[in-house]
Amino acid sequence: MALRVPKAPGFASMMKEGSKYMHGLDEAVYRNIGACKELSETTTSSFGPNGLNKMVINHIEKLFVTNDAASILREIDVVHPAAKILMLASDMQEKEIGDGTNYVILFGAKLLENAESLLRMGLSPSEIIDGFNLALKKTSELLPTFEIKMNLTKENLRDNQVIVSKVLQTAIGSKLFGYHEFLGDLVTKACLAVTGSDASSSFNVDNVRICKILGGGLLQSTVVPGMVLKREIESEITKTNQARIAVFSCPIDIQVTETKGTVLLKSADELLAFSKDEEASIESQIKSLAEAGINVIVSGGKVGEMALHFLNKYKIMAVRLLSKFDLRRVAKTIDAVVLPKLRTPTHDEMGACDSIYIDEIGETQVVIFKHAKSHISTLVLRGSTDQILDDCERAIDDAVNNFKALTRDPMLLPGGGATEIELASKLSEYARTCPGIEQYAIQRYAETFEFIPKILAENSGVKSTEILAKLYVGHHDNPNLGFVIGPTQSGTTESDATQSNDVTYDTGDVKVHELYDLFITKKWAILFATKAACTVLSVDEIICAKPAGGPKPKENKGWDNDD
Amino acid sequence: MSAITTLNPKAESARQAQALAINISAARGLAEMLKTNLGPKGTMKMLVSGAGDIKITKDGNTLLHEMQVQHPTAALIARAATAQDDITGDGTTSIVLLIGELLKQADLYIAEGLHPRIVSEGFELAKKEALQILDKCKIPITTDRETLVQIARTSLRTKLSTENADILTDIVVDAILALYEQGKPVDLNMVEIMEMQHRTEADSRLVRGIVLDHGGRHPSMPKALKNAFILTCNVSLEYEKTEVNAGFFYKNAEERDRLVASERKFIDDRVQKIVELKRKVCSGADKDKSFVVINQKGVDPFSLDVLAKDGILALRRAKRRNMERITLACGGEAMNSVENLTKDCLGFAEDVYEHVLGEEKFTFIEGCKNPKSVTVLLKGSTKYILNQLKDALRDGLRSVTNALEDGCVVPGGGAYEIVAHQALTQYKEQVKGRARLGVQAFAEALLIIPKAIAQNAGHDQQETIVKLQHEYATSKTPVGIDIATGEAMEPKSLGILDNYRVKKQLIHSSTSIATNLILVDEILRAGLSSLRPGGQ
Repeated sequence: MALRVPKAPGFASMMKEGSKYMHGLDEAVYRNIGACKELSETTTSSFGPNGLNKMVINHIEKLFVTNDAASILREIDVVHPAAKILMLASDMQEKEIGDGTNYVILFGAKLLENAESLLRMGLSPSEIIDGFNLALKKTSELLPTFEIKMNLTKENLRDNQVIVSKVLQTAIGSKLFGYHEFLGDLVTKACLAVTGSDASSSFNVDNVRICKILGGGLLQSTVVPGMVLKREIESEITKTNQARIAVFSCPIDIQVTETKGTVLLKSADELLAFSKDEEASIESQIKSLAEAGINVIVSGGKVGEMALHFLNKYKIMAVRLLSKFDLRRVAKTIDAVVLPKLRTPTHDEMGACDSIYIDEIGETQVVIFKHAKSHISTLVLRGSTDQILDDCERAIDDAVNNFKALTRDPMLLPGGGATEIELASKLSEYARTCPGIEQYAIQRYAETFEFIPKILAENSGVKSTEILAKLYVGHHDNPNLGFVIGPTQSGTTESDATQSNDVTYDTGDVKVHELYDLFITKKWAILFATKAACTVLSVDEIICAKPAGGPKPKENKGWDNDD
Repeated sequence: MSAITTLNPKAESARQAQALAINISAARGLAEMLKTNLGPKGTMKMLVSGAGDIKITKDGNTLLHEMQVQHPTAALIARAATAQDDITGDGTTSIVLLIGELLKQADLYIAEGLHPRIVSEGFELAKKEALQILDKCKIPITTDRETLVQIARTSLRTKLSTENADILTDIVVDAILALYEQGKPVDLNMVEIMEMQHRTEADSRLVRGIVLDHGGRHPSMPKALKNAFILTCNVSLEYEKTEVNAGFFYKNAEERDRLVASERKFIDDRVQKIVELKRKVCSGADKDKSFVVINQKGVDPFSLDVLAKDGILALRRAKRRNMERITLACGGEAMNSVENLTKDCLGFAEDVYEHVLGEEKFTFIEGCKNPKSVTVLLKGSTKYILNQLKDALRDGLRSVTNALEDGCVVPGGGAYEIVAHQALTQYKEQVKGRARLGVQAFAEALLIIPKAIAQNAGHDQQETIVKLQHEYATSKTPVGIDIATGEAMEPKSLGILDNYRVKKQLIHSSTSIATNLILVDEILRAGLSSLRPGGQ
């Protein structure tokens, strides 16, 4: 450390050059709140079914067109420390549930905004934090009571395909409105296909694969039980039915030693003998495979020319995969064991597949492993541009994660902001029963919930105040009243005139419109957002070191993975 | 002009009064900065590193480390705080506050013309007396859980929010109690700390066993096992190149195949030995038991394949420190060779299972009989929360072990400082000469601790101090601050207990640093400025 004889007194002179020091309400807290507010303003307009897309160009000049908050924030590289805390919370939501990331950002930022006005009123941050925590506790008590009973359990998801599909449609609807019905059904089909019927087997998100193929339209997308890989087939045979498969992680070629080997030849005869020997050994190897009934080989390494020749001779199809993960997935699809060495597999180690064939979708060549009893299903997505496909993939990711959440906890809540309005009114009632100063904070916490239906309405171009008023009034009789987009149905709302197919925006019973949100998503989103907001509030001093140049320090994640 | 500038024109210097002013202002500045962190109601500070990583903490040591202090005096104090942390694991904020306050009090007298040397003499006298008072304040403890919980809680509540502190308190005490054996020092290295970025802090728990941050390497290896024998070994189960340059010569495929096989044989034999052992121990009455291999060296895919076929879960490249911990937790021995393997070499655990979080895998070895090594599993939604928990946990563990080793504690909540202040004021009368003023300064300086605690909790400093002094004078029992009300309370009955050695070290080092600093009359820096123009 280069020490200097200091000149000016004061704390700032003690720090290394380039560092910043902020403290107190004005310098730290308000600024932090301001930063979070700005962050949320970016994502506000992309919330809900009618949210707008953003065009984001990231640091490597890749273009994204999306309204998925998690991707937007990831690509714009937030540096402000307080905004980063909020972002980390949303990141965590992505990891925990996989959906509701924008909810975390919006809710957290709005909470902070409301806290700011309290701070200006003269409350101390710790009082606000206490109030928020009380409100959070009350919220987690209240949430389960709003449940819409559908009698869904982990076991009967398969029998309630319609409801599952509706839940996923709500998730997709907030990203790709218009295609949500079609895609919702598709994803439901794909997910249910890979869910074990017994309760013990858990659903793995990785088991629903997405294969994006340029061209066509979204509505031409399909589900394939099994794997679809953008690869070609090495051998001459390109279609096999009732395949029996051996999967190898090593190259299909002559075996080599780890230590460097040298062929020691003394005469021309030996050279000829050697090549023959070599051929014979490979042939015997492949012959024994063929005799064991194998007609397809999947390899993670190169398929040698000589080996290929014999494979063709014995009418064995060979597929080469580049990714180790793909290899594992294929092995899973067909129930095979990956063999590390070229040898004949035992009966148990062999895989079986209904049909393996090469196909052309658009102008892309794909290898399809179709297996009715597969543990993996693939969604073949079609779309006209890369951006649409990427966006679609993100929406489907969210939906698949929603499905996973559903298998963990099938409790459903009314969607369309109905839950939030109900929470808001219940929490305000609760605030009035609190004796201390924390009731202000709880009151603000309740008001924050209004924000969700408000944004939903605003993004659809409807007067939000009107909708809010209607919702509050309606909630006296019907706790499931929410903001609904779509043809209004009679009975719950007063307007019978809009029975046409025009898209209308109004309040309506979400139960009738079948708009469901997942309990678990909401629970975690509210929890993470509140925690993040409290963290931002609790910081009264910030010390920033001078930004370091050069690449970021490498994270030692997955150090034991050799792939 | 200082003499050094004649010798080296580029040197920088500050002399006498100026030097003292620099030292005092630095110490006070630093103390001022950390003052808001002290006590259970202290606020958090947010640190942003050069790479943009966020840290939110109120741990004095962490702050001083990460703040990148450049001021020489401040750096000196920061080092004293680090030493305090190394020795006792706590009291880092206090030491900075105390040094700052000692200098501030000394400054009052020095400004009136008292020689720094006299002040430092007074400090030395006061220090000796203060240590004697500390010995009188000692409260002997027994090793019952209740007392340890109180000690851990006192320490943790000053580092974390109340809820989080209460979660960790039980974890800390249970961890120490698992390791503690009468008459033996507690080896804190045997507490593995494992972080999982998952769910919330409330899900943190103590695992009576070991958690490893990697999993089985083979897709068909079992993910969860019940009643498992555990073989810990440090044997390479993968092909290793020879030290010398070696090559094979062959002339036909058959020969080569033989070479391929012989090359593997060496490793295969080892694997076979392990498999044989498994078959032997998991037979007969133990038929439904399973087998786990934890290897410090590598295991290659071929070996994994063989092991997987026999239903053995193999973990490779375990950390060295975990090898020791595993044998302590589940018994058995860490084997360095696969010769002479017997059942006695094996450990045993009721539950071994893998937990996958995104790309990271964790292996839990739980349900060990009487484990002498445990794991604290910290969970938190974000990295900064995990870091905060980790720092606090370490301090909590230290404070409980300190108390166990000392066999005594002192009353917390500023009680000791009030007692010492009163006693030193009396002692002052016995001191002859001007050194008495040094004692007076020392006594006043001690009060900074209860003052800061009171201020952070939102109470008036002076009012609180007066109340406490009054209460102590009438009741003659040590009293501390009740942070909720600002009134006096009895720390012993409320279970607010500080470490004896923390206070002792605190008084020792703060006095010597403060004495050193006031005795400095010149600060010099050899001129290296020519290397970087502008002296920056």
